[in-house]
Amino acid sequence: MTGGPGARFLSDCEVLANDEVAPEQWRMRLRAPSIAAEAKPGQFCMMLTNPTQYPFLRRPMCFEQIFDQEVTILYKVEGEGTALMAGTPPGQRIQVQGPLGIGFDTDDDAFARHIIVAGGIGVASFPSLAKALTARGVIPEVIIAARHAHLILCEDFFRELGCEVHVATDDGSLGEQAFACDVLTRLKPDSDTRVYACGPMIMMKTTSDAAIAAGANCVVSLEAQMACGDGACLGCVVESTEEAEGEAMVRVCVDGPVFDTTRIDWAAHNLAYAP
Amino acid sequence: MPRDATDTDDMNLAVNMGGLPMKNPVTVASGTFGYGQEYNQYFDITRLGAVTTKSLSLKVRAGNKPPRLVETPAGLLNAIGLQNVGIETYLSEKAPFLRKQGATIIGNIYGHSPDEYVELASRLEQESAADAIEANLSCPNVHDAKTASGAVLVSQDPDAIIEYTKAIRSATTLPLFIKLSPNVADIQEPALAVQEGGADGVCLINTLLGMSINPKTRRPRLSNIVGGLSGPAIRPVAVKMVWDAARVLSIPIIGTGGICTANDAIEFLLAGATAVSVGSMTFRQPDAPMQVLDGIKTYLKQHRIERVEELIGAMEV
Ligand SMILES: Cc1cc2nc3c(=O)[nH]c(=O)nc-3n(C[C@H](O)[C@H](O)[C@H](O)COP(=O)(O)OP(=O)(O)OC[C@H]3O[C@@H](n4cnc5c(N)ncnc54)[C@H](O)[C@@H]3O)c2cc1C
Ligand SMILES: Cc1cc2nc3c(=O)[nH]c(=O)nc-3n(C[C@H](O)[C@H](O)[C@H](O)COP(=O)(O)O)c2cc1C
Ligand code: FES
Repeated sequence: MTGGPGARFLSDCEVLANDEVAPEQWRMRLRAPSIAAEAKPGQFCMMLTNPTQYPFLRRPMCFEQIFDQEVTILYKVEGEGTALMAGTPPGQRIQVQGPLGIGFDTDDDAFARHIIVAGGIGVASFPSLAKALTARGVIPEVIIAARHAHLILCEDFFRELGCEVHVATDDGSLGEQAFACDVLTRLKPDSDTRVYACGPMIMMKTTSDAAIAAGANCVVSLEAQMACGDGACLGCVVESTEEAEGEAMVRVCVDGPVFDTTRIDWAAHNLAYAP
Repeated sequence: MPRDATDTDDMNLAVNMGGLPMKNPVTVASGTFGYGQEYNQYFDITRLGAVTTKSLSLKVRAGNKPPRLVETPAGLLNAIGLQNVGIETYLSEKAPFLRKQGATIIGNIYGHSPDEYVELASRLEQESAADAIEANLSCPNVHDAKTASGAVLVSQDPDAIIEYTKAIRSATTLPLFIKLSPNVADIQEPALAVQEGGADGVCLINTLLGMSINPKTRRPRLSNIVGGLSGPAIRPVAVKMVWDAARVLSIPIIGTGGICTANDAIEFLLAGATAVSVGSMTFRQPDAPMQVLDGIKTYLKQHRIERVEELIGAMEV
């Protein structure tokens, strides 16, 4: 089924591979020709994790990599839904809806320097972005931060693309012991820099604060509990900086998930409600 | 069954929902289908018996603060707070799309007073932007509708229901349905009040009040603290409420609550509903309303039933 520009599909996709790449972190490779043909870095899909009705809702997952006929999903087992994904053997089909949302702008040449800042499993948003940027000759720098060493993913991938990679862990078990925002500040972004952040909300807020303080441009790929993924339920909103009542909230699923950070009212956002 | 199967086979799927002719009994639940356009890329929305819009208010509403959703066993809690584009944007941007497609429209409205409902219903009729009105007197997620008796929802106060229904009735000639809350001791009281107020139908049920607390943070999972429960978890409650109401009403019922499959829809018809709306299931399966419709047709064929209307209230005991 197509729907003109921004076509979205509801397809039963064959699982080609599904492997644990690090403790509790998996990569699923899906045959998804129509979705792959339309998908852009930073967009996501809604995945049905089970044929029964429990868990009831689908799980939003971004595209780690986008190939000719296939996509990969890099995911962390958090709870029941992702545990069911991990239990899905190759050969099985899984209902996938996508590509959804607005991804990264990969063609904007207004910035000389590009810094990717990944927190934990948020790194899953970035392999496709880094590939798209390098394809047009822009080599991003990459900060990968996580709580522990085993949560640092994709380091080799970025190095092989030629990126300068900075690894940081909260406990110092790999790379330097630091938070992503501190590494960013040390890299001295300036007004000629675009920063791309994805990770836990608190990490995106601190990273965005650091980027803005340095005068850089910053985009964030937000997370939110979703039901429809398609703009209909109004469940996934976050507070925006717009004054008008009708624009006080933005929907992460269709207005994002990637936003210029200045559109998000971080002061209003209550981080205490994180899942 | 092919997706483009015609709905005109040998059996008759049409129902008369309180004066609204529906080519089949399947509509969608307000607030789970946006304004229709969102889903037109997954199936032809004109195949639905009707498209029911998100609740429309006079002014654009920002709704509640996030988080607004939490998943629960076999369903979800929501506290959207009736965020919507407002009636004027609906009239200028949303209704034209539905009209162009040729969809039958049930315009769901929400106001703060009888006057506001009257204005909303009149605007929809004047602009021919709805074929029927569904007045939501039962949203659990807004705190601004006040009734004289102090009940939280208009829907919990039979006298207020009569007052609101009469007012809206006098303002529109379109078929008028009132959507009720299940958060009452006896659903027959509000249902009878709807009938006394002169409406043409009842929509049962809106969400059930519920809440969920995160033990890790000791905080409610919804910023609104409480929310409305929907999904298969509430289906048995909804079926019973439809059955309870159908036994005392002479006006028809739209049955809603956890409908996922054709069998679920047929349960509601057997309990006494004339039409059904698919709600939260669309979040799981965007073409669920079509699967329900196609499944009803298969059921009728298998059971050699010519008219879907034969199923209404046909539970055998
Ligand atoms: C646009 C988007 C893209 C995402 N991409 C990825 C990805 O590529 N890889 C990955 O590992 N994770 C990703 N996530 C987060 C992922 O959706 C959640 O980790 C997952 O839903 C958890 O489900 P669960 O059943 O395992 O956990 P549970 O804790 O059982 O989930 C309970 C409920 O909370 C929701 N939930 C829990 N954590 C999150 C979260 N962080 N964000 C949103 N909803 C949540 C679940 O969907 C579910 O409805 C993404 C989230 C969004 C919004
Ligand atoms: C996210 C969400 C938003 C809703 N918004 C509305 C609304 O605006 N107006 C309304 O009358 N009902 C609203 N409802 C209630 C549904 O229309 C329906 O009555 C209820 O969800 C039960 O059906 P279900 O279990 O099939 O979802 C909403 C439900 C959900 C889940
Ligand atoms: S998830 Fe439904 S509007 Fe975003």
